Amino acid sequence: MSDDAEPEDRPRPPPGALAGLGLGALGLLRAGVELQGVARRTVYWSIRGRRARGVVLRQCLEVGNRSVFFVSVTMGFIGMILVFQSGLQLLRAVPDLQMMGATFLEALVRDLAASLTALMLATRVGAGIAAEIGSMVVTEQVDALRMSGVDPVNHLVVPRFLASLVMTGVLIVWAGAVSFFAGCATAYFMFGVAPRTFLNPMLVDGGDLLTGLTKCLAYGAAIPVVSGWCGLSTFGGSEGVGWATTRAVVNSSLAVIILNFFISGASFLVFPP
Amino acid sequence: MASPTDRSSPPREESLAEELGREVLSVAAQAGGMTVLALRLLRRLFPPRVDGPELLRNLHKMGVRSLPIVGVTALFTGAIMVIQAGVLIRRYGADGLLGWGAGFAILREVGPILIALMFSGRVGANTTAELGTMTVTEQIDALSTLAIDPLSYLVLPRVLAMVAMLFILTIYGDALALVGAAFTGQGLLGIGARTFFNGLVEMVKAWDLINGLIKSVGFGVIIAVASTYYGLSVTGGAPGVGRAVNAGVVASATGIFITDYFSTYILR
Amino acid sequence: MLELRGVSKAFAGPVLRDVTLQVPKGCLYGLVGPGASGKSVLLKLLVGLLKPDAGRILVAGEDVTDLDEIQLHRVRQRFGFLFQNYALFDFLTVGENIAFPLRQLGLTDEDELVRRVAERLQAVALSGFEARAPGGLSGGQKKRVGVARATVTRAEVVLYDEPAAGLDPVTSQKIFDLLAREQREAGATVLMVSSDVARLLTVTDRVGMLYKGRLIFDGTTEEALGSRHPVVKQFLHGEPDGPI
Repeated sequence: MSDDAEPEDRPRPPPGALAGLGLGALGLLRAGVELQGVARRTVYWSIRGRRARGVVLRQCLEVGNRSVFFVSVTMGFIGMILVFQSGLQLLRAVPDLQMMGATFLEALVRDLAASLTALMLATRVGAGIAAEIGSMVVTEQVDALRMSGVDPVNHLVVPRFLASLVMTGVLIVWAGAVSFFAGCATAYFMFGVAPRTFLNPMLVDGGDLLTGLTKCLAYGAAIPVVSGWCGLSTFGGSEGVGWATTRAVVNSSLAVIILNFFISGASFLVFPP
Repeated sequence: MASPTDRSSPPREESLAEELGREVLSVAAQAGGMTVLALRLLRRLFPPRVDGPELLRNLHKMGVRSLPIVGVTALFTGAIMVIQAGVLIRRYGADGLLGWGAGFAILREVGPILIALMFSGRVGANTTAELGTMTVTEQIDALSTLAIDPLSYLVLPRVLAMVAMLFILTIYGDALALVGAAFTGQGLLGIGARTFFNGLVEMVKAWDLINGLIKSVGFGVIIAVASTYYGLSVTGGAPGVGRAVNAGVVASATGIFITDYFSTYILR
Repeated sequence: MLELRGVSKAFAGPVLRDVTLQVPKGCLYGLVGPGASGKSVLLKLLVGLLKPDAGRILVAGEDVTDLDEIQLHRVRQRFGFLFQNYALFDFLTVGENIAFPLRQLGLTDEDELVRRVAERLQAVALSGFEARAPGGLSGGQKKRVGVARATVTRAEVVLYDEPAAGLDPVTSQKIFDLLAREQREAGATVLMVSSDVARLLTVTDRVGMLYKGRLIFDGTTEEALGSRHPVVKQFLHGEPDGPI
């Protein structure tokens, strides 16, 4: 054939800096549109869809089993680190550590328990969801679902979404407790603060509880939607699955950090100290 | 191909003790595997046997890939630290302490940890995926048959690049986090950037910064060893690669917090 | 029955360029071409799993190009699809995999489902495999389960993407004979993509050839075998020397 070398076959020159920026912005915009599509369909099917009994429960077990050991270890260490570090600093400014436990508890309830646990879950659960769904995309199982008239969001994302809404809250409360008691032990052994002094809920008020609860729900909703979207947009073979998993970890961690910024900011304005 | 009978009988229900025991054994086996890999890599450092061009290529790729994500994370983290500290600052009316409180926390703990976590998600996970794909497509075996040592040629350059890059990115991220903190202090608490940086310079010591940077090297080693270990031990095609990435980031995160705990004791 | 009018599609580079093709009702149409010539993409465009960049796609005279996912459900019910990578759901048993399309069509009578699944498994010579997990099957067995699932709804149109890739010659010939027999019995329209040209041409009525994203040949099997087009001639007869 004479028309072998068509002009479009040649590799295009790499885009310049400005064009690169423009392409980046376009990519970001397209990602945003896709993500909100997945989010909308997730909410729609959560309300309208029918599910076989036990599907959500199995995902709850999956999320919980997979993560409880991991979150307990990491959050336990975080509790110890935070109390040790802040104890050292506080001793430079004030002679006694009476209020350390109360302040720590307030910080846990308002922010640390939810945000740090969610970061761990973004890594654990988010990567797991993207790896599973991504593998199904490259083996064409997602196409097969669509051929049978099943929305993959309904079948794959929604059960994980509902399970995550419940289990994220449960795991956050559990991990917060582990972290607090690890901190309590550290305070006792390193600084001689009696557990009864440390266990002081005086500073925790309704605003703190409401902020913490909002974060539980927001993170629980965001992680499966973001990582489900990453999994569904997998492209290519085993390398594609690896990519999707990577993107899920980064994007859902980023979602947690950005949500934290907005919720914390709003709570600071709504419940001024 | 697996034999057609191996899935036909339903798995026997395990008791909790059995499950726990198996879990502990597998964690121990993985930790041991990582230690062995680390030692084998260490032997290739004395005298250094590392592929130079591959090292440069990886440094460049990892740096470029993680700049935006580390930047965004750092800015938001700085802002969040100020919002959280703001509650205490307002309560005690101690505006001058904001620079110290936020600066100390960012430089010493939050900056290095969060940047390491994001780095692990971006670069560590990517390295696992890359090496994992090469493993399942038998590229690693192909190298060995050509008498090229995959550890010197593929793994060590990536490990060194990760450690070096995380160190550099932590400096960059710390700086951006302080900028984010200063802006939020101004916007939300009405504490000027001058007051913020005065507090920072007066009360935060150089040791706090160095302390955080030393930790970042430790985190870099953890991420590098964990991500390459899981990449090299992938089995089972595309789903295997996904599982390996997942295991790699989880091991990195656990390692980061355990390292941080001990280094906090040692480096007071 | 199936019609493409001037369809183009590009990913990183162009995959299909201005392809116009008709598959008549009841025809067993074979689509051939070298690797990466856009054959699988063409199949996915027909059922809306991918959207074309330009051109129209018609199914039974109806333009389906711009339908959304929910409207496409109705169109896809006319189709059976065998995927290149089998696409068996690993969260379901073999039996449930085959029953899945029927359940989605609203069939709830369990006895009827069991009967239909058993009948399909018998047709692909895998009787008694209902409770197996797909992960434990060999490549040929997975393909046959895929065929059973693609044909269980007695769809008007069945699309087969590489039904024999990676199988040994004997199994491969058995699969082609099975597909041809299925088609004759059900009277369905079949579009089959394969690189195994020699075996494919033993069963097809019509043949099309894609080369570098263009349809360079479309005609009956006899015409194809006698074609003087240098690319078609070289490809169909497997000659080492030529333009490819």
